[in-house]
Amino acid sequence: MSNDVAVEARAACKVYGQGAGAVTALGGVSLVIRKGEFFTLLGPSGCGKTTLLKLIAGFESPSSGQILLDGQDITFDPPNTRPVNTVFQSYALFPHLTVAENIGFGLKMLGRPKAEVAETVTRMLALVRLEKMADRKPVQLSGGQQQRVALARALAPAPKVLLLDEPLSALDLKLRKEMQIELKRLQVETGITFIFVTHDQEEALTMSDRIGVMQAGHLLQVGDPRTIYTRPANRFVASFIGESNFLTGTLSGSDLTLDAGPRMPVERADNAPVSGHVTAAIRPEQIRISSDAGSGIAAKVLDTVYFGTDTHCVLALSDGTEITVRLQSPVSGDVGLQTGSQVTLTFEPGALIVLPEVA
Amino acid sequence: MSTPMDPKARAEVRRGWLLSAPALVLLAVGASGPLLIMLVYSFLEAGQYGNVEWVISFKAWFNVVMTRDIFDGTLGFADAHLTIFWRSAKLAFLTTVFCFVVGFPTAWFIATRTPSMRTALLFLITIPFWTNLLIRTFAINQIIRNEGFLNTGLLYLGIIKEPIVMLYTDFAVFIGMTYVYLPLMVLPLFAAIDRFDMRLLQAGYDLYASRWQLLRHVIVPVVKPGIISGSILVFIPALGAYVTPRILGGGRNMMIGNFIELQFGQGRNWPLGAALSVVLLVIVSVALIVYTRFATGGQDKSHG
Amino acid sequence: MADRSFSISRLPGFATIAVIVFVLLYLPIAMLVIFSFNAGDSVAIWEGFSLRWYPEAWQNEAVKAATLRSLQVATAASLIATGVATMAALGTTRRRATRGQSFVYVMINQPLMVPEIVTGVALLIFFSSIKVITGYQGLGYLILAHAAFCTPFAYLPIRARLEGMDLALETAAADLYASPWQTFRHVTLPLVMPGAVAGLMLAFVTSLDDVVITEFVKSAGQDTLPTYMLAQIRRSVSADINAISTLLLLLTVVLLTAFFLLTRKRT
Repeated sequence: MSNDVAVEARAACKVYGQGAGAVTALGGVSLVIRKGEFFTLLGPSGCGKTTLLKLIAGFESPSSGQILLDGQDITFDPPNTRPVNTVFQSYALFPHLTVAENIGFGLKMLGRPKAEVAETVTRMLALVRLEKMADRKPVQLSGGQQQRVALARALAPAPKVLLLDEPLSALDLKLRKEMQIELKRLQVETGITFIFVTHDQEEALTMSDRIGVMQAGHLLQVGDPRTIYTRPANRFVASFIGESNFLTGTLSGSDLTLDAGPRMPVERADNAPVSGHVTAAIRPEQIRISSDAGSGIAAKVLDTVYFGTDTHCVLALSDGTEITVRLQSPVSGDVGLQTGSQVTLTFEPGALIVLPEVA
Repeated sequence: MSTPMDPKARAEVRRGWLLSAPALVLLAVGASGPLLIMLVYSFLEAGQYGNVEWVISFKAWFNVVMTRDIFDGTLGFADAHLTIFWRSAKLAFLTTVFCFVVGFPTAWFIATRTPSMRTALLFLITIPFWTNLLIRTFAINQIIRNEGFLNTGLLYLGIIKEPIVMLYTDFAVFIGMTYVYLPLMVLPLFAAIDRFDMRLLQAGYDLYASRWQLLRHVIVPVVKPGIISGSILVFIPALGAYVTPRILGGGRNMMIGNFIELQFGQGRNWPLGAALSVVLLVIVSVALIVYTRFATGGQDKSHG
Repeated sequence: MADRSFSISRLPGFATIAVIVFVLLYLPIAMLVIFSFNAGDSVAIWEGFSLRWYPEAWQNEAVKAATLRSLQVATAASLIATGVATMAALGTTRRRATRGQSFVYVMINQPLMVPEIVTGVALLIFFSSIKVITGYQGLGYLILAHAAFCTPFAYLPIRARLEGMDLALETAAADLYASPWQTFRHVTLPLVMPGAVAGLMLAFVTSLDDVVITEFVKSAGQDTLPTYMLAQIRRSVSADINAISTLLLLLTVVLLTAFFLLTRKRT
């Protein structure tokens, strides 16, 4: 085991309840998170991402499996002995304490000298730019300010790993964008390993060094944002992160004969079948539409919908498959596609990816 | 680990019981346990100077409704007891109805004020509820006695020639109980009306209902849980009232509560007193069960 | 109400009834207070302002003893009730509902559901045996009985407070290196405190006002202020009772106002 591993989960499993009513929240997840990285657990609600976070924080213990921190088994250590801190979704700021007291809480519990606590609190207040709010109570702060107090409080004891449980979900869109940048800055400045839980794919793509996509208690794919987006491991990842069109066809070698007719060059995702009838995915923005009949996929325009910067064009292939193509809206006029007109679809080699069969 | 229950959850349950234990012991010794002992006492013989003889007997239960003539030993209904039961039931019922009649408009009035006004009015209703029952009953006593404020005023104004005798009548008990228990009706009614969606009234008016029709067909059915809780909350203490009939009803106009007390004082019949208490407890329990059946979704009996 | 505009929620006559109710609710109490300052003996004819009834009441040794006893019992009972209620509230809130929890809830609220006269009788029977067996005749019985029926009043505001508390706060404390005891000491306790103080006040007021149960539980010579007053009212009416009532009312109103301010501030 190399010593650049911060957190490791080994076949971590969590089952709630018992007998017929048992619910598996986490079905044996193994995962390695490196030191100093910004790692995001991404998935829809109920996928087990928060459960995994709780196992790392120590709020729950796994039904089976192990959690390691710095190579040490911490599976059953209580949360107050783990050098791991959490930014809660609800912030969970202590309402009876001031901002400064909230931030200093962890160090105080650790029994650090008063001077050290005060010095750290001052530094943290500066870090999150809340110097003037030190003596306020949490209720006197705005949502964004509370969020930053929660961050400072979790960072103050200088944890080995910072856990963030959907911390931006309560903020409005504009503030959320600002906080994304702020979070990334803090992570780079402190060099602390961040484990960030979210269901927002855009948040995950913009902030993370690596992303782990989860669904129904399982980890589907781990990789950097570009890989996750361009080489989704399966249909779920392809449709959960961004939008995808799915085409079916018969695979032979590096060519796919679409059910809709033409033969196209494809790439294969890991674990994808090497031959036979398969499903392939392509992103809506990677398809081009030309009105002259040429080499490509023949399609009929069903509808165009104006979205401001983009215009979405819905088309039908000869076998009835519906495809969405995203075009940049022209400066003036519309995209010039008449409903009912025949067009040809083309794309770069490598845009169409064969996905593994669903187990 | 396929333990039947997660150890953390089991520890949590155990901790819950440990923390609740002192309260449970206190209430078992100071409230619930004695009720069981009382039940046992109702099946014993009365002692000559109060207390009991440890002899199993059904005499007390028999005496609740029947009596044996002292002279010829014939059986008959205990008319005096039945009169007291009847008076208690009648007064408690009338009190409940009257509390509703004046309490409903009051609760409605409070609920339709501005928020700050509403808080103030609620506080005004709550204060009498928490102030000493004895003092409030005593205040009524002072108003309605022969030489009291009401009679003195009416005499002074020449409306009456002689003081109207109000104190020590059933009417006085009824007025007194309405006065002391009214907050118990208003508070749950307010809670129900407060949740009432006033847009239903717009819909009602829109569909040609008159105010009266709205009250009867929309408002009352919707706030019914509040009406039931308020009625139960007034009926139960009114039925078991002791202080109010004692101060306003005098010795002759007893209610069950005073009659029970009598058995532990001059009556020297503890088993009969215990049996009567059990009867009262059963009636109240039935009322509470009816309440939980029909008013679920309404508020519990929390005060204030 | 000359307003011609149509108010959706106005029902005819309701406002009038409500105003009459409020007036009648306070009129008797107001009269009682006013006549405690009457120079004469009457409770109906005003003979001028005087404070004579207050020192007169206080010079009565029986009143003094009863007042002191009332305060003693109320203090001890409300402290015990608040203590056990706080523990019980900590044990019954903020976790998965279990059958045991509703049992505890029913037990604690039991005094609210049983008529006072029945509880009084049951305690009389129970304690009379204990008195014979142990020979102990002291205030302990009153304190025990009061503590029991005050417990639900203490429990309700504490429970309400705990239920309004974010569960994540204690998790957050544990996450920030607080041991279970430190979590209780630095997070749970300070947050429960306003509820506990509110509960203490309600319990105190409830104990102070009790007549029925005290009447049955007290041994000879153990009158509290309310039972003393009850006995006095039966005999004769004199204005010194008005003076005592006024002071008791004042104490209740002060405690209640404090209670309201305390529970309202928790936004």
